Amino acid sequence: MSTTTVQKTATKEGEDWQPLIITFCCNWCSYAGADLAGVSRLQMPTNFRVIRTMCSARVDPEFVLRAFSKGADGVLVLGCHPADCHYIGGNYRTRRRIALLRMLLEQYGFDPDRLKLEWVSASEGPKFQQTITDFVKEIKEIGPNPLKEDQVEEH
Amino acid sequence: MTNKVGAVMVVGGGISGVQAALDMADSGFKVYLVEKKASIGGTMAQLDKTFPTNDCSMCIMAPKLVAAGRHQNIELITNAEVEMIQGVPGDFMVTLKKNTLRVDEEKCTGCGECAIKCPIETSDEYNEGMKKRKAIYVMYPQAVPLVFCIDKNKCIGCGICHEECKAKAIVYDKKSEALEIPVGAVILCPGFEEFDARLKKEYGYGSYKNVVTSIEFERILSATGPFFGMVLRPSDGEVPKKVAFIQCVGSRDEKVGNTYCSSVCCMYAIKEAIIAGEHTEGLKPYIFFMDIRAVGKEFEDYRERAEKEYGITMYRGARVASVEEDPLTKNLTLRYSYEGESRSEDFDMVVLSVGLKPPEDADKLAKRLGIKLNKHGFCDTSIYDPLSTSRPGIFVSGAFAAPKDIPTSVAEASGVASKAGAIIAPARNTLVVKQSFPEEIAVEGQEPRIGVFVCHCGINIGGTVKVPKVVEYAKTLPSVVYAEENLYTCSSDAQERIKEKIKENNLNRVVVASCTPRTHEPLFQNTIKEAGLNTFLFEMANIRDQCSWIHMHEPEKATEKAKDLVRMAVAKSRLLEPLKTSRLEVNHAAVVIGGGLAGMTAALDIADQGFSVHLVEKTGHLGGYLAKLPLVEGGMKPKDHMDHLIKRIRESKNITVHLNNEVKDVTGFIGNFKVKLKDVELDAGTIIAATGGLEYKPTEYLYGQDPRVMTQLELEDKLAHKTFHGKNVVMIQCVGSRNEQVKYCSRICCAHAIKNAIEIKKQSPTTNVYVLHKDIRTYGFREDLYREAGQLGVNFLRFPEGTMPKLEKKGDNLEIVVPDVMLREDVLLKPDALVLSTGVRPNPDNVEIAKLMKVCGSKDGYFLEAHMKLRPVDFATEGIFLAGLAHWPKFIDEVIAQASGAAARAMTIISKDQLETEGIIAAVNDDVCNGCGICDPVCEYKAIVIVQDPSNPDKRKAVINEGLCKGCGACVAACPSGAMEQKGFKNDQMYAIIDAAFTGGK
Amino acid sequence: MSDFEPKVIVFLCNWCSYAGADLAGVSRYQYPTNIRTVRVMCSTRVSPHIVLELLKDGADGVIVTGCHPGDCHYINGNYYTEKRMDLAQRLLKMTGMEPERLKLDWVSASEGEKFSHLIQEFVTKLKEIGPNPVSKDKKLVTRLEAAVDASKYFRLKVLTGKDINLTSKGNVYGETLKLESLDEIMAKATEDEYRNSLILQLTNHKAYSVKELATEIGEPTDKTLEHVVSLRAKNMLALDHIEGTTPKYKAITIGGA
Repeated sequence: MSTTTVQKTATKEGEDWQPLIITFCCNWCSYAGADLAGVSRLQMPTNFRVIRTMCSARVDPEFVLRAFSKGADGVLVLGCHPADCHYIGGNYRTRRRIALLRMLLEQYGFDPDRLKLEWVSASEGPKFQQTITDFVKEIKEIGPNPLKEDQVEEH
Repeated sequence: MTNKVGAVMVVGGGISGVQAALDMADSGFKVYLVEKKASIGGTMAQLDKTFPTNDCSMCIMAPKLVAAGRHQNIELITNAEVEMIQGVPGDFMVTLKKNTLRVDEEKCTGCGECAIKCPIETSDEYNEGMKKRKAIYVMYPQAVPLVFCIDKNKCIGCGICHEECKAKAIVYDKKSEALEIPVGAVILCPGFEEFDARLKKEYGYGSYKNVVTSIEFERILSATGPFFGMVLRPSDGEVPKKVAFIQCVGSRDEKVGNTYCSSVCCMYAIKEAIIAGEHTEGLKPYIFFMDIRAVGKEFEDYRERAEKEYGITMYRGARVASVEEDPLTKNLTLRYSYEGESRSEDFDMVVLSVGLKPPEDADKLAKRLGIKLNKHGFCDTSIYDPLSTSRPGIFVSGAFAAPKDIPTSVAEASGVASKAGAIIAPARNTLVVKQSFPEEIAVEGQEPRIGVFVCHCGINIGGTVKVPKVVEYAKTLPSVVYAEENLYTCSSDAQERIKEKIKENNLNRVVVASCTPRTHEPLFQNTIKEAGLNTFLFEMANIRDQCSWIHMHEPEKATEKAKDLVRMAVAKSRLLEPLKTSRLEVNHAAVVIGGGLAGMTAALDIADQGFSVHLVEKTGHLGGYLAKLPLVEGGMKPKDHMDHLIKRIRESKNITVHLNNEVKDVTGFIGNFKVKLKDVELDAGTIIAATGGLEYKPTEYLYGQDPRVMTQLELEDKLAHKTFHGKNVVMIQCVGSRNEQVKYCSRICCAHAIKNAIEIKKQSPTTNVYVLHKDIRTYGFREDLYREAGQLGVNFLRFPEGTMPKLEKKGDNLEIVVPDVMLREDVLLKPDALVLSTGVRPNPDNVEIAKLMKVCGSKDGYFLEAHMKLRPVDFATEGIFLAGLAHWPKFIDEVIAQASGAAARAMTIISKDQLETEGIIAAVNDDVCNGCGICDPVCEYKAIVIVQDPSNPDKRKAVINEGLCKGCGACVAACPSGAMEQKGFKNDQMYAIIDAAFTGGK
Repeated sequence: MSDFEPKVIVFLCNWCSYAGADLAGVSRYQYPTNIRTVRVMCSTRVSPHIVLELLKDGADGVIVTGCHPGDCHYINGNYYTEKRMDLAQRLLKMTGMEPERLKLDWVSASEGEKFSHLIQEFVTKLKEIGPNPVSKDKKLVTRLEAAVDASKYFRLKVLTGKDINLTSKGNVYGETLKLESLDEIMAKATEDEYRNSLILQLTNHKAYSVKELATEIGEPTDKTLEHVVSLRAKNMLALDHIEGTTPKYKAITIGGA
């Protein structure tokens, strides 16, 4: 398939290494919070790509694993604050799933801090900015996704 | 029959007006929603959080605002005021003055470039003057409609905005216009204003910087407020350590002329105190109040948590005499009386809990519209007809009729929709728009042919992201057969272009890379639908709000990111499928469970609009508790009102009453319920649960053992029959409420006790009456009763929280010992009549009924509504509603308003011939599903059932009820076998978009 | 300080003042040697930030000369010059530098004598005031930098640029604004932008509290907080950390957080 030059993710560890972070946002709170960050022109690093789901509970653990296996350096799941869920209690399930998934990642020797769950409401543009900025920093400290190196070798 | 106009005008775009508009529009009426300001939203849009759930106000409100803004049967008329209403109910002519925005509402895209460039800064009313806005502005970022307007008073006419506006939307000489609109009914929801705290000179508001009002504090707490949600002192930007909240500023205060209680201040102060502590480390809140009026659902728990969990200090029964500022430190000294002594204490900041007052122009509005105001200046209503103004055909809801909280305003808004609908029911569906679309092009089996439209958004995107590069890149992506750039992809000429390009290129998928789907997806979906494509063949890439605007200084990286986002959207788009929303036939009848005030009111409201109703009552007669209220209230005996209702029900040809009957089973779903009674099975499109509550029968205080001990209802009966002869009467409040077993406040007992106390004094002025209480909770205009009782010589003794008066029988004498807070000693009383203000208990039947209807109960045993703030009469299960004491203890007027609300909500369903299911819902792959049932408990909407597979006796499988599914996708993520799918967000679509986020993704 | 020889930059418009200066020479009018002239086509070319920057960099004085009102070769250029120099003068006053160091005057092609007098008087005046204090006063430099930044703001440029239209020809509504009311708006805007710029200059390298900023910018703390709010809303300033009960802010450097 034709894929012209895109950004250089995952070269080697080096000064210009830029992590790529997949951010799942629930439609009702966090996606709106991300929009508000935009409306308020809050500046932040470009290292993340937002994928919208209707509810954070739609984020199948497999989505997270898929993202990691494709080379995501970090995955951020954002949902409504507890009790604010548009779908009543979806985010409680998200919380349990992500907690479990982090344990699982750890058992497989994968740094669980690459996966993070945060609550961002529709009025929390600044919190969205903060969350992204902090997470990018954290992931930069952790370094590139080790699976990516493996992949490069495989191919 | 005279000619009825199938349209209604809602005046005021706050939460109440918006809800009324939505309910009317959903019931087949055309709605004109008139708002004085440039955007709808009202006061709620300014709030940070809402009590008692601490929900984010904007999060829960914005979807309603957007829904109102988009509704094809709601026409928003902003910046407009009503001048005159002529005509008769059913056939009014309303004259409006629409003030000019000086911006073409059709052309403005809300991009905001004009405001960035405008050189004039002025204070921002939305942030209570604590931030700045420009002379061309939009009230708040999420405003609906998102149209900028020019503040002519501030504008110097430099012309910059016109030069900057790429959409050419600025029209300086646009004129204000007078509009004449025919409607059948008018609903007034102009809301309220805050009390002007400057009038309480002793608190120093206006001269002391660190004294702020509660609404200012609300903005301070907001993430979009001046301090990004952190509490700071306006005098010097320091974090305050001690913050005092002073209650009743402009309420319960004869000196300033407002004798009523503003009802909401206690709760909002507790909320603000909690949030302030949460947002700001080390901040300690203190609340100074007379009585804490936590009367609503789960408010008392909230109050308790505030004290115990959040460490908020409460000074009960404290009235603050004055606030003084230290001119150097700007700290504030409060002087107040507490438990009988004068004290003073220093604080870093003071919040004045300002009361609610009628809108400033209420007088003029009333005169222009020919409606009466009450003595407090609010709209005059009667307790038996709480939603009607004095002029037939004009209704009122929300805080214009009395200070009230959001859920009550919302319930009333629905209620008023029911009342207005009754007038124009014959003209239903006569003025609503039905858009017609061409036949859908079948795309199944075709190779995807994607068209990509990339928006410059003036310079909002194009100024940072190199749009032409993104377009060139898009052309290289698989399945993309066409790509172009637009100055504004959302403009109306661009819609025509998109349609043309679909035809020209045989496009079967469309991707727009522009702003956010939250506001713009429906517009583009509509466009492709007009071109014959299924609306679900559309995908958006958000390259403005989530790219160009947040990476303004990194154009290269932003451009790369925009390309990625387009690639991701295209990847998903390739796998999109047309979704069929199915249509469900709707049964037009309603079942109302419970024949008390709520049930009868709801049944009559529905019958009045021509639908048939089954009213199911467990006992052998209608009426419920009304029969037990023989004293005159609001100019009439509640019992007479009951007789009137029963008579109307008997005469109504639409209502079938099922006495001595009960619900045995409920099956089906919204639009198609089957309700099984003892003897008959009823078909209904909707159900209302109005099962009422019970009076608590006390076991304490020798009740039932000594004839001198009675409940308030029993006392009322005696008073009505003039058979009460006590000379020393003691009333004890909170018997069976606010204790360890039942923590909640029963809301109605204080006013009920005082009503009886006044009656005693009227019948026998020499009788001594003592009311022993923790707080007197006569909220709203009921405060007048409290005052009246005090003037008649009724004695009020406050005892501390956590204690109760003790009763002893000495010989034949009753002796009450009560710890008096003011005197700080025990007081001995020897009553010859002891009246217990017993609380309300939930109907024990609720448990069983909840199970049958698959709805939830609250922790206190009442029914649990879908959302405490904004869906106060809905159950989470679609199509089922609640009203009256089954929801929470409440007064007659509140029951009536809420019952009408439930009726209106029910009619939004049964007024339709068909219901359209959501497109994005769950779907089961039968071949893969093994019926494990893991998905079932995950579903909050009870939309999943596990059934026996009819074709295979060994197999069970999950079945989705399309009428109930809301499409959250929680079950899909839970499904261990991959059998569950979410249409529009299918697993393969999600994997495609995830994969495409990476280099080399397809 | 009799041996102090001020350095003065003189801007001359090509059509009047430059010719006036030439005429002074032709007529052998004598004046001090302290000036260095810069020719511009029209006096309006001299942006406020240019003169402010010169003073920041150590020039002891700056003179801008142009054609007399009504005589401008480019019709109205000198009217704008006047507005722009008003802005520069306003900003200069706010920094605390002697406003006499900047002068605007009109010199026609026939006013050789006037030109020589202008220079003589200006140099004498500067000798009285003494040398430009920037070399000894670091804070003044920061304030001048803030003034330079402020003078470049779009908002002030718009107000300066639209001034004449608004007060004489009428605005987009066909109304003419009173000179005083526009002046008031201009004064307020200049003050706001200057203070904002100064806050940004200060917080560029170090986090400041509202109280500290208030002392630096010479405003009460509540007004200073308003500036902080406005800068935060524009995403130019951010909370850095909190010391006890005192939040401290730093400027956001361009390039994102």
